[in-house]
Amino acid sequence: MATASPLLDALIEALRVLPGVGAKSAQRMAFHLLERDRPGALKLAHQLALAAEKIGHCRRCRTFSEGELCPLCASPARDAALLCVVESPTDQLAIEQATGYRGRYFVMLGRLSPLDGLGPEELGLDQLARRLGEGEIRELIVATNPTVEGEATAHYLAQLARHAGVRASRLAHGVPLGSELEFIDRGTLAHAFGGRLDLI
Amino acid sequence: MRERVERQPAYVLHERPYRETSAILELLSRDHGRVAVVARGLRAPKPRFARGALRALQPLECGWIGQGEMGQLIAVEVIGLPQAVTAMQLQSVLYLNELLVRLLARNDPHPRVFDAYAGLLGDLPRANAVLGFALRRFEKDLLAELGYGIDFAWDLATQAPVREQGYYRVDPEQGVFAVAGPGRGALPGGALLALAAGVLPAAELLADLRRMMRSLLLHHLGGHGLQAWRVLRSPVPPADPA
Repeated sequence: MATASPLLDALIEALRVLPGVGAKSAQRMAFHLLERDRPGALKLAHQLALAAEKIGHCRRCRTFSEGELCPLCASPARDAALLCVVESPTDQLAIEQATGYRGRYFVMLGRLSPLDGLGPEELGLDQLARRLGEGEIRELIVATNPTVEGEATAHYLAQLARHAGVRASRLAHGVPLGSELEFIDRGTLAHAFGGRLDLI
Repeated sequence: MRERVERQPAYVLHERPYRETSAILELLSRDHGRVAVVARGLRAPKPRFARGALRALQPLECGWIGQGEMGQLIAVEVIGLPQAVTAMQLQSVLYLNELLVRLLARNDPHPRVFDAYAGLLGDLPRANAVLGFALRRFEKDLLAELGYGIDFAWDLATQAPVREQGYYRVDPEQGVFAVAGPGRGALPGGALLALAAGVLPAAELLADLRRMMRSLLLHHLGGHGLQAWRVLRSPVPPADPA
């Protein structure tokens, strides 16, 4: 729908780059910013420009970082012999918060997925292969999601590790703590059953 | 027009995030072909649907309300166990799923493609040694079902059956033509006859068949090849899954 202002049309069109925002939502956002919150609009524009310009990728782990190295990669307190591969910065954060992991990370920013056009190059896996080849890493911890794409990625990472002579491990799949077996979906239960551990 | 579909046999081909907690699923259904449905709240902490079951390889019965391009998922029933597959076979599944999403138009029913897909998934655990050939047969049947079928046992140049010892090229629109001898793009008659009959050929012919089917698929994909061909290449040499 064309409005009376070409600038307004351009703004609506620009807002549609956001995921899940269609023509209607974009229009609502544009009207809200112009009608009710012009200072907010200016602040948003400023922060967007700043972020798009200043935030790059960490040279070592590919996560979003303002410096050449992210604080985690730069920290001497982290164990350089352990490398945990995750799909996204949110996965990295989840592991940081939930576990006492003291090693470093590699953030792929995606998973191998033909339908999304994501391959080894897009995920920086050539960079990871070089890092594995440097000889500092003793264990590669694969923390991809238990989806079909995540599993295929895990397999690829395991091949890379084996090629470099590095031990590869992956997160266990199992019964969520505090849940009851009768309510767990069959696939998860089958996985947990197949991957049972020795007691004692 | 709203259409309500119930208990429709289906597989998930692809999932992509949609809005805050929802997802758009590409399904391959038996009687409605490839359909896109929104699964509301699938990625929420307490999803309405069995999250673990809504993934590729799991036989499902789905219900949805269709309206135009995109339906809304309303029911999911898990049918049997998901196929247990090796990582290598998993890559083949990713390849198949991309192939189906690219080649099948939405809402265009092809029950035979569904049955062939279900059969192939069911055979995966046993098909290890002959997985490549199982994929070639699926591709051949898929093209035939979509109206691009080729008689691989008939030489159009001489209007005679393909000979085991001869050499041929395959035109994606027309079919098989005899050529003078081995050379670029030429493939042995034995490979074509094996594919036509669905009988596993000698191992060295499998690579020929893969190359030939790839060029046919590339043609019908409008010249834009599958990402799987590039993405799923192994980091270290072993066999190619697609």
